[in-house]
Amino acid sequence: MTDGRAFGPGAHSYLDGKPSGELSAEERASADRLAALIRAYADGLKPVDPAMDEAVMAAVRRRGAVPAAGDGVWRWLLTSHRVPVRPVWVAALAAAAALVLWLAPRAPAGARSGAVAVAAAAGRDTVFVRFELVAPEARSVAVAGSFTGWRTDALPMVRGAAGVWSVTVALPIGEHRYEFVVDQTRWVPDPTAHAQVDDGFGGRNSVIVVGPKGLVRS
Amino acid sequence: MSGRGVRWLVLAAVLCAPAVLAARQGSVVSRLSARGLPAALAREVQRIAADAAGQGVPPGPLADKAIEGWAKHVPPARIVSAVRLFAGRMAEAGAAVRSAGIQNPSGGVIAAAAEAMGGGLKAEEIRMVVRAAGAAEEASPGLSVAASLAAQGIGSKQAVTIVVDAMEHRRPMSQLLDLPSVARSMHDRGMSPGEIGERLLPHHRDAGGGEHHGDKNDRPPGVPPGPGHPSGPGHP
Repeated sequence: MTDGRAFGPGAHSYLDGKPSGELSAEERASADRLAALIRAYADGLKPVDPAMDEAVMAAVRRRGAVPAAGDGVWRWLLTSHRVPVRPVWVAALAAAAALVLWLAPRAPAGARSGAVAVAAAAGRDTVFVRFELVAPEARSVAVAGSFTGWRTDALPMVRGAAGVWSVTVALPIGEHRYEFVVDQTRWVPDPTAHAQVDDGFGGRNSVIVVGPKGLVRS
Repeated sequence: MSGRGVRWLVLAAVLCAPAVLAARQGSVVSRLSARGLPAALAREVQRIAADAAGQGVPPGPLADKAIEGWAKHVPPARIVSAVRLFAGRMAEAGAAVRSAGIQNPSGGVIAAAAEAMGGGLKAEEIRMVVRAAGAAEEASPGLSVAASLAAQGIGSKQAVTIVVDAMEHRRPMSQLLDLPSVARSMHDRGMSPGEIGERLLPHHRDAGGGEHHGDKNDRPPGVPPGPGHPSGPGHP
């Protein structure tokens, strides 16, 4: 104890209420000294706040409101934890997250072509445009361009009177590049297009800019 | 969460990043392969796209250019050469667009600027159109119209002046997009490119001596509704 001297079992029995006559003088002195220490300690204790009981019970009731299902997960999620994290790990996590977000595809690649972007700028309106080509000798004619992904079989044209091939297409507002494909092999520019531009492969692409009022040809 | 959990999370994120990168680059290859391009050609185009990505060039238009060449039965070597040239032009166009104030231009704006440069517009002229557009989404149509006018023989300086004036005066987008049709109809009536440019220039319009934009039907005078004019439901 505090003074380094041991208390014998007789002293403990005395403190428990046994008659003191069974103790020697030395044991009684020890027991009295121990009793004095206990009283001094008890005197130093502050009285318990009467509201503490209610506060404790309220806390218990709150914890009891957590759903029983998945109790372990809920408890883990709703309980505060101490997470020892080194700042370098936080920086690495942030950098990795930023990298993933930056690299993640934002839109289909095809949706980034100029024509589609123009259409988006104009509210995604589309306008019907009629394509025509005079080719009396042709066996088949199709129109292929940026609006078909350059597929040659997407927009076959129909032969009309006097060998005039035609097709009407709903095109987004904006600029489009195209050519006619005659007999599935020959690429022919549209003589009525707004312009002919270098296609980068030694040929010419026809260009039309479709506005909300459509395409005007003389 | 324990420190070990955080470490696992970081490790997973770091491992995912290359996978996302590979998937993104792979999308070019998969697009080209789906269109029947040989694997070697697709890989070469992907390599060009990956290099160009460092300069902010989007891969989509490069893949489109390769697909166009393949559809036209162009030899692979020439396709690679054209794609590389287009990538360089897109990088230059992207730099011009950024220097005009659009810090993160979309792929559409860059592609439109690149096509315009291919049509003869200079970098400074690209910047003029982009600045006049104000909003990034309006730059693409402006660039396309300027390029189309230039391709019709109107000088690029004149074409840019016409477009910039229309944008700065906040003319409707319909009028702007109608300019190539108007120019074409003037050409078909026998006007020279120089005359057409003069007619479309602001001072000529303001003086009331030439082609106005907007009669009672909001159609420039003298422009007949040809066979291409939409007569059906124009805006489905």
